Amino acid sequence: MEILSFLARRIAQGLVIVFLVSGLIFTLLRVVPGDPVRLMAGGMAPEALINEIATKMGLRDPIPIQFMRYMGHVVRGDLGESFVRPANGASTGGSSFDDSTRGARAKVLDLIGETLPMTLQLAGVAVAMALVISALIGIPGGLAPGRWPDRLAFYVSSVFISLPNFWLGIVLTLLLSVKLGWLPAIGYGGFAYTLLPAFVLAVELSPVLIRTLTGSLASIMQEPFIAVGAVRGLSRRRIIANHALRNASVPLLNLLGVQFSGLLGGVLIVEYIFDYPGLGLLTINAVLQRDFPLIQGIAIVTSAIFVFINIAVDLAATMIDPRLEY
Amino acid sequence: MTRAGVFGASAMVLDPAFLCSSAMAQTSKPMVFLSAENITGNWDPTAHTTLSQKNVEGFVMGFLTRTPMRLDDPEKTNYELATSIKLLDEHRLEIKLRNDIKFHDGKPFKAEDVKATIEYGALPDRPAQWYPGPTSGLTITTPDDYTVIIDTTKGGYPADLFIFLASFLPIMSATDVKGGPSGPLTQRLNGTGPFKFDGQKGNSTVLKANMDYFHGAPKISEIHFNFVGDATTRMLSLLNGEASIVERLEPEQVATLTKNPKIKTSTIVSVENKYLWFRCSKPPFDNPLVRQAACHAIDRASVLELLGSAGHESSNFVSPVKFGYIDLPNYPKFDPAKCQELLAKAGFPKGKGLPPLEYIVSVGFYPKTKEYGEVITGMLQEQGFPVTLTVLEPAAWNERLYDRPGGGPGHMIDCGWSTGSPEPDLVLRTHFYSKSKRICGIVDPEIDASLDKERNAPTLEARKKILQTETMPLLADKVPALSLFTSVMIHAMQKDLDGLFIYPDGSMDASKATNG
Repeated sequence: MEILSFLARRIAQGLVIVFLVSGLIFTLLRVVPGDPVRLMAGGMAPEALINEIATKMGLRDPIPIQFMRYMGHVVRGDLGESFVRPANGASTGGSSFDDSTRGARAKVLDLIGETLPMTLQLAGVAVAMALVISALIGIPGGLAPGRWPDRLAFYVSSVFISLPNFWLGIVLTLLLSVKLGWLPAIGYGGFAYTLLPAFVLAVELSPVLIRTLTGSLASIMQEPFIAVGAVRGLSRRRIIANHALRNASVPLLNLLGVQFSGLLGGVLIVEYIFDYPGLGLLTINAVLQRDFPLIQGIAIVTSAIFVFINIAVDLAATMIDPRLEY
Repeated sequence: MTRAGVFGASAMVLDPAFLCSSAMAQTSKPMVFLSAENITGNWDPTAHTTLSQKNVEGFVMGFLTRTPMRLDDPEKTNYELATSIKLLDEHRLEIKLRNDIKFHDGKPFKAEDVKATIEYGALPDRPAQWYPGPTSGLTITTPDDYTVIIDTTKGGYPADLFIFLASFLPIMSATDVKGGPSGPLTQRLNGTGPFKFDGQKGNSTVLKANMDYFHGAPKISEIHFNFVGDATTRMLSLLNGEASIVERLEPEQVATLTKNPKIKTSTIVSVENKYLWFRCSKPPFDNPLVRQAACHAIDRASVLELLGSAGHESSNFVSPVKFGYIDLPNYPKFDPAKCQELLAKAGFPKGKGLPPLEYIVSVGFYPKTKEYGEVITGMLQEQGFPVTLTVLEPAAWNERLYDRPGGGPGHMIDCGWSTGSPEPDLVLRTHFYSKSKRICGIVDPEIDASLDKERNAPTLEARKKILQTETMPLLADKVPALSLFTSVMIHAMQKDLDGLFIYPDGSMDASKATNG
């Protein structure tokens, strides 16, 4: 019962957050320079035609009215159609004003549906890599505070946090793909194309995870219940695995939820550099083309994902540590 | 199951090869072209002027003739779908066609297809507008299945204007054209060229070899024409072998790539000139004196120096590979004293009294544009022009590019113009005729009269003379735009990609190419 009430409360909060984010993005898109109708209709379109199309599409109505109309469609599961992309999903440009024959435009939900799994795959592999890197470096560091494994963890996380992801992406591509030919890098032609961009994202995610794991593990190893474990005759390996790491994983888990929001920023750049056909590349092209419905749709879906992940993380944390309240 | 059994089972399921397999293992043999520009959402060749889509059409569609347009012989013509093109008299052109060609959908190619293509493409509502006059000014007859006669008597202009256009206009199937602007033309390309349109998946256009191609089946089985917006990504993809060929290289990238033994580059003086377009329909550039003064403030040699291998010197409004090109003796040269004299004459001594001016350039598509935009802004400021530079990404720049009632945004804007034909009117008439004036917005009866005079010349020789001695010098006097230089088209490709012919507009003939 308690869990249901927790879920209901958090989902209600989440809906408010998604609504506010949508409203903010919707408003900002309409006040920035660049008329999407001119992009749709083409630079040569006469002003009268621009106004006619804009009026027909309701783009000259007050922003609150436009927003409420848009949200009315969203609650019915309709995120609208892309302003510029045809149904085959190609990124387009160079349209002309009196061309009424550009064929069916792509549905925003379809475009997101095609690219989101790619980004989730990339993000999933990146998080898995980041956790492995963090565990390999952070656990020894936490178990030996002040000694060389701790210092190594500090140096590694300092180096990782100093590496810009676009630079690292280019350097790793030159090294691992161009020079050594070990990994493919550009575009997507199979799972192997995920590894290099995921590693770049993992390097971006790891420093905070390493520091958190090192700090929390070092602190937990000083707790009385750890010392008591040895008195109870438990082996050091069992104390660390079953007690210390379990407790240390709670702050790590909470941090992962926050890190996912950072991951989106990284995904934008990394997908662009690697031409990886995910939500990040779709977002960049949508912004460059002023494709308002697509940008809005992506904003709603990503904010909903963040809300969902944070609810899931809180739920998982309370399961790991029953002392935490729902 | 024992622990060993569990590991054994998982080993059967998981193939660790993907973790260490070479990038090359997943790269197939098709020619992969990475384009710097995206296509439009409509495959109708008359619905756009987008260069990347013209490039796709170059692989798929058939043309009556092709013109290689090289500096040493800019007017050379190769016959393709046509076997001969003959001027019967001033207003009648006879085109004889091959009789052994089929469209990719199986329809035999006949005179009706040429007639339908021209009559449809010249309709006033078709966005591309490559034709010298509307359909109503044309009478096209087909005495037999393989002869077309174009009669321009009703339009009042000479029929020889179609000679150069023949190399540029893709021939569509009459059956497709019958479907109109909402029919099959919008959905896919159907041509007679060496490659068939197979499909569009996201940003990748897939073309497959046309085994019935009349010059012989291409050796390359597939072409993947992919839009990749980032120049560094395109170069990395070429370096790791995933891309076969990339376009629009920055000069610095050329320097890096020429050192790589696996890569070769191709540089061609293109049909594209880069221009500084004045907004001629609003002050202060509605005054020719101010335009001339601005032109004399710009040292084009410095711009070319900055461009390095990406620019070619030219002193005309069209590329040196276009019909009628000459280095114009009166083309504006860098002359600060002359600039000051003209400014004073216009009533703005040392620039005093000029309103704040905006110069708009793009970044991310054309090489080095932001950089030379900064240089030109500095030069104009030095002579007293109160100019500020606005640098925009391509979508925002494109949104501001064209003329509007009352003048387009800003006071000057940068843009290139590229058309794959020697025909100079695809630039001159498109931009400087009062009814077209795409970017600069100039309305000048004297220029109109001169453009009509050269268009209506009875022979090509007479036309060339009028262009070189009247029309082009007049434009150099009135300078509705300043052509800064001619672009050099730079492609880089894998060394084992052989036999590819690149036209000066960037389109390619891959019918005889081999890839490894």
